[in-house]
Amino acid sequence: MLQYTFRRTIAVLPTILCLIVICFFLMRLAPGGPFTSERPLPPAIMANVLERYGLDQPLYVQLFTYLKNIFFNFDFGPSFAQRDRDVNDIIAAGFPVTLTYGFWSAVFVLVLGIPLGVIAALRQNSFWDYVMTGFAIFSQIFPNFVLAPLMVLTFTLALGLLPGGGWNGGQWEYVVMPAVALGTSYLANVARITRSSLLEVLGSPYIRTARAKGLPERTIMIRHALKPTLLPVISYMSPVFVYMITGSVFIDVFFSTGGIGQSFIDAAYTRDYSVILGLAILYSVLTFVLNLAVDLAYAAIDPKVRSGLK
Amino acid sequence: MSLLSVRDLTVKFSNRGQSVTALNGISFDIARGERVGVVGESGAGKSITGFAMMNLLSRPGYIDGGQVLFEGKDVLKMSAREQRSLRGNRMAMIFQDPMVTLNPVLTIGQQMVETLRAHRKLSHEEARQIATVKLKEVYIPSPEARLDQYPHELSGGMRQRIVIAMALLLDPQLIIADEPTTALDVTIQADIMELLLEMCRSNMVGLMLITHDLGVVSQVTERTLVMYAGRIIEAGKTRSIINDPQHPYTQGLINALPQQTPPGSRLKQIPGSMPSLNAMPSGCPFHPRCPLANDLCRTTMPKVVQYADVEVACHEVQRLQSDLTSEAAQ
Ligand SMILES: Nc1ncnc2c1ncn2[C@@H]1O[C@H](COP(=O)(O)OP(=O)(O)OP(=O)(O)O)[C@@H](O)[C@H]1O
Ligand SMILES: [Mg+2]
Repeated sequence: MLQYTFRRTIAVLPTILCLIVICFFLMRLAPGGPFTSERPLPPAIMANVLERYGLDQPLYVQLFTYLKNIFFNFDFGPSFAQRDRDVNDIIAAGFPVTLTYGFWSAVFVLVLGIPLGVIAALRQNSFWDYVMTGFAIFSQIFPNFVLAPLMVLTFTLALGLLPGGGWNGGQWEYVVMPAVALGTSYLANVARITRSSLLEVLGSPYIRTARAKGLPERTIMIRHALKPTLLPVISYMSPVFVYMITGSVFIDVFFSTGGIGQSFIDAAYTRDYSVILGLAILYSVLTFVLNLAVDLAYAAIDPKVRSGLK
Repeated sequence: MSLLSVRDLTVKFSNRGQSVTALNGISFDIARGERVGVVGESGAGKSITGFAMMNLLSRPGYIDGGQVLFEGKDVLKMSAREQRSLRGNRMAMIFQDPMVTLNPVLTIGQQMVETLRAHRKLSHEEARQIATVKLKEVYIPSPEARLDQYPHELSGGMRQRIVIAMALLLDPQLIIADEPTTALDVTIQADIMELLLEMCRSNMVGLMLITHDLGVVSQVTERTLVMYAGRIIEAGKTRSIINDPQHPYTQGLINALPQQTPPGSRLKQIPGSMPSLNAMPSGCPFHPRCPLANDLCRTTMPKVVQYADVEVACHEVQRLQSDLTSEAAQ
């Protein structure tokens, strides 16, 4: 398993390198730059600024310097738009925020979604089954950009229970709404997937075998049905995790959390090359790490996958 | 008293408020240590019979009357707890495809140990010991090592041996085997069947063998039930059924056997196919395919009568029988 993790890590490095190079050139292809504005700077000052950030160098030299700094100093360079901050600062400020509410959002989705799906499957066509179906429809009609304002209307403006935005060092009152707004539509999907997966598992021949062996119902559910039921849920959650933890631009902007999504938007507007690039790298590394984690979780559950890893 | 008697067992499937009858009041007995074959074309209701005997039908199937008496007690009336203590313990089941009937995420050992411990007070170690012994009995090489393997790591034949060992774990009185070799390679089918026969003989275990294969039935079983469209249409000693079948359907099955066909000529299949549950013909369900069908067959279901060495439900057989009795009377 360790060896497998190691191999995967080595294998992903060239991919990330390619990604950096492609992003680097793509951004430079777009017209304009971090220092173009309505009122052009006098040429002398412009030259000065370009020199300070090394933008006067040929592109390949810029790329090389950039890569060198990343690999040897773990330095993603200065921000072009925000004076005196560098990319590391910006990520260090925004990422913990996003990570926090993203994590709680994932917890919210799994801890509620899986049991809801299980109950709906066990009590097919019961009250809870209808609650779940209704909820799934609800979450499709109200995506997070509709749900978030509704929540603020209800919990902040009408009831005065929760703050309508801000972060305040991640106190729980500030985390609840971003996490719930981000997770709700996934929660409905997780419940739906769990329900159909469990129904399929319960109809499977090995569950019939377990019944025919005279095992108690609880053993059948927990030992025989649970693990296989979770496999599709894990597959579904793998890209969702990445999305949640890297944050939603909408949530960050709407709740003014100061998360990384906000930085991304700002950087895109101001052509802040180094920040965009830094965030792109962060996203791709996270994608890789979480995919690996999901694959390992899969292997932990399914012995067939496990023996394939060796 | 026979080990198991099924009386007027009826099974239905509900389908959008309507229900169709899959088993139509069937009755039969299995004596202690007796091996009984159940044959019939696909869809006859053989598997449904097996599940109903364990009260293991899953929705939308349900039992709509009848009794399943195991050692004189009606399984269908027992509490859930009593039923559980019967399943896997006194009555075990072997299913068709061991690849899908063993849980893929649990080791062989885990699946054997849990069965033992569900029924007996045993430590994990003691249960493993018993499991090892049983695996040895079904000729599995290095049984200890097998216990820690997962189903996908074993060959199909090995898996089915393990399933047989699993069924024998608690020394049941009856094993219901539903096409235990159909999913296997032809070359090992005979081995597995022989093993099953040997195990049942040496342990005095009753066997209900569900199969398509009349050849297997004649090798393994002492009595045979022939099913058609949810009914037992002929039952008797396997020897009599194979050598002197009375029902036109059974005759058709036997004539369709490759051994009965001269090399190079076509197999004599029964024309037509089994009616579906929601389009059951009136009268005898076999009449649309029967070469001997007459008006009576089209309107009334024949009663079961004893004729030659078998019990059979057929108007034509009844007519022959009454001819005989009237001849005898003259
Ligand atoms: N879940 C279900 N819903 C509706 N009908 C069903 C269901 N399961 C089985 N049946 C019907 O019950 C009848 C008997 O099925 P059963 O599985 O007992 O047949 P079988 O004799 O075992 O056939 P095979 O040789 O193919 O295994 C069939 O007509 C089948 O269509
Ligand atoms: Mg069947």
